[in-house]
Amino acid sequence: MGLVIIVFFLSRLTGDPTSLYLPVDASQESRDQFRVIHGLNDPILVQFGRYMGDLVRLDFGMSIRRAEPAIDSVLRGFKWTLQLAFITMTLVTVMAIVVGSLAAFRVGGVFDRIATFCSLIAASAPDFWIAIVAIVVFSVNLGWVPTSGTGTPWHWILPVSVLFIRPFGLILQVVRGSMITALGSAYVKTARAKGVGDRSIIFVHALRNALLPVITVIGDQAAGLLNGAVIVETIFGFPGVGKVMIDAILQRDFAVVLAAIMVTAFAIFVMNLLIDILYAVLDPRIRY
Amino acid sequence: MQKFHALIVGTIFAATACTTVLAADSTVTIVLSEELDIVDPCEASRSNVGRVVLQNISETITELNPTEGLKPRLADSWEDKGDGTWQFKLHPGVMFSDGTSLTADDVAHSLARIKSPSISCEIGAKFFGGMELTSKIIDDLTIDITADPAQPILPLLLSTVTIVPAESPMDSFVDKPIGTGPFIFDEYARGQHIKLSANPNYWGEKPAVESATYVFRSDSAVRAAMVAAGEADIAPNIALQDAVDDKMDYSYPNSETVYLRLDHSMEPLNDVRVRQALNHAIDREAFVGTILANGTLLATGMTPPSTIGYNHSLTPYTFDPEKAKALLAEAKADGVAVDTEIMLIGRTNNFGNVLETMEALLAMYQDVGLNMNLKMVEVAEWLEHYSNPFAEDRGPEIVEAQHDNANGDPVFSMFFKYASEGLQTGVRDPALDDMIASATALTGDDRKTKWEDTFKYIHEDLVADVMLFHMVGFSRVNTRLDFAPSIRTNSELQLSQIGFK
Repeated sequence: MGLVIIVFFLSRLTGDPTSLYLPVDASQESRDQFRVIHGLNDPILVQFGRYMGDLVRLDFGMSIRRAEPAIDSVLRGFKWTLQLAFITMTLVTVMAIVVGSLAAFRVGGVFDRIATFCSLIAASAPDFWIAIVAIVVFSVNLGWVPTSGTGTPWHWILPVSVLFIRPFGLILQVVRGSMITALGSAYVKTARAKGVGDRSIIFVHALRNALLPVITVIGDQAAGLLNGAVIVETIFGFPGVGKVMIDAILQRDFAVVLAAIMVTAFAIFVMNLLIDILYAVLDPRIRY
Repeated sequence: MQKFHALIVGTIFAATACTTVLAADSTVTIVLSEELDIVDPCEASRSNVGRVVLQNISETITELNPTEGLKPRLADSWEDKGDGTWQFKLHPGVMFSDGTSLTADDVAHSLARIKSPSISCEIGAKFFGGMELTSKIIDDLTIDITADPAQPILPLLLSTVTIVPAESPMDSFVDKPIGTGPFIFDEYARGQHIKLSANPNYWGEKPAVESATYVFRSDSAVRAAMVAAGEADIAPNIALQDAVDDKMDYSYPNSETVYLRLDHSMEPLNDVRVRQALNHAIDREAFVGTILANGTLLATGMTPPSTIGYNHSLTPYTFDPEKAKALLAEAKADGVAVDTEIMLIGRTNNFGNVLETMEALLAMYQDVGLNMNLKMVEVAEWLEHYSNPFAEDRGPEIVEAQHDNANGDPVFSMFFKYASEGLQTGVRDPALDDMIASATALTGDDRKTKWEDTFKYIHEDLVADVMLFHMVGFSRVNTRLDFAPSIRTNSELQLSQIGFK
């Protein structure tokens, strides 16, 4: 409710959308007609009351720009964002845990140094630059993958790869740090004394205990992707919710802005719930 | 290890095979700079909507050709019947893609629809504001159209009106346009693509292109890369820095004119010497080939040089800072408040390097001693400065603007920009009002001469504005196509004009 109120009134502060929708040369008569059709002539509180009334019936209103229900625009984009976020975060999580755990096993070794160096680079990499360079190298020069768009599995390679880099760097660092602590614990020493193999020590004994802070970071990164990977979506022409939301903000398409924020807020709420449940699964001491 | 190597090689081979464009020769892919929110033909005056719809799906009854002038399209002929009425004879045997025949009733409905208050079509608002249109159907293929006030260039104005079937709704946009054009609107997968295919029952010449796909990428570098990689055939409107391949990239006048609109209603801008100083203070040539593209022309009028009545004898104001300082000193000596702070207002993202352009202009003005500051604003706030009525509590303002006129006649510009009642005018000059009204009412050579006089009066006598540049645009075209973009590519992209080498 608070979110709706804030976004509703903040979005109205950006001004009247009429000037953005009608041509510069449009007559005052046309502008007046436009305001009447879209209810923009009414006092702001009347507009808010009407919006809340519709919202109770899960009616998010009509997109001025697209002339369709705002929720349709948002859900169409959200479907793509959800897939992109899921694929990316799955790959990131698996890779970061494996590489981070192995790096932590021999701290200061060659593998650890390479992994640490790469994670630092990846965590600070500007994705817009990587995206353009990747297109020039892998699409234009080598012709291996499509530059952009959707349609085949090959179209997912560049967007997922570019989105992969930064969360991978961040999560790898957290996994490594957390695993170093876990591997120095008394229970790991005990396991070693009992002759447990390295693989079991890393992936069975230490990892489970090291995962709690990792899951928190994974949640943060996933929330960022669910909000829409705007730059990557824009460059690769990926029709996700981030691009829908940014376009709607720039075009003052208020109904779409509100619908997009409500949908992503709900998705993040669900994801946080799942993370809390996962905490309890991993650590039996945690009870809600 | 051998298996792993084979897997890598196989993956690369498969990827290459999948991404190589294997499209048939008769299919083209066009990459636009934005996703289309609306595809209704009555919005075809918007650049990217026009590039999909105009003359591909929906045709007009007349058509403006940049080199040949006004030509018939759905109308075979037209005649001035006097008192603002023109009679149009439609081409017989024309069918819409839904199988119905084109009749005068469809034309009447299309004209009513662009003025429908329920949908606020851009064509109606942009080209027919303040004008009443009435239609009288004489027979199936003959229609009288009356404009009030009378429009001597009504046939030219009608080159902007897309004709839709009489069944098209008056209160909502259509999402699958039906027209008489050489292509049929097949599919719009929102966020992904639009597909057109050739209309098998088209009444005119069969185009070489059999189908077209439109995709949307907002980043210019990606659009250019798509053509370079063979994924797209045409990328209209790429940025200067991406137009680096002589074999694929075309530059052409894009019908946009950049100028500084002066507000004559208050000091110091109401003094002609100050306005002359503003013109002499700028080194226009220094922008070309540096901040702006090579080929950019220095402007002396509001419309592109190809427009009827453009006065080619006018020359841009010379860069003469000393003269500018002398003019300001002279005005100051006569009591004009030349030291008043002037706000220079620019529109963000209006064209490539607009910020750099505005900062350079500001520096040049400050160099001659003007008390000026720069404010860059986004479009909605910019419109509040640019369009009448202006804020009551404003100070002297100079507003940067870019104006598009690809329609071949100054009438599309002059009333809005210079008449006292014009929406964006900074001038209130009865003599100029008379000249615009007079030129608007004339035809033929008289019209051309009157517009030339009007341009001269604005540029030399009134010194109404600071005219800057006629801009150029860049498009990238795949070398397999026989197609050269032109000034019209700014507003349409006729697939029937595309050939294959």
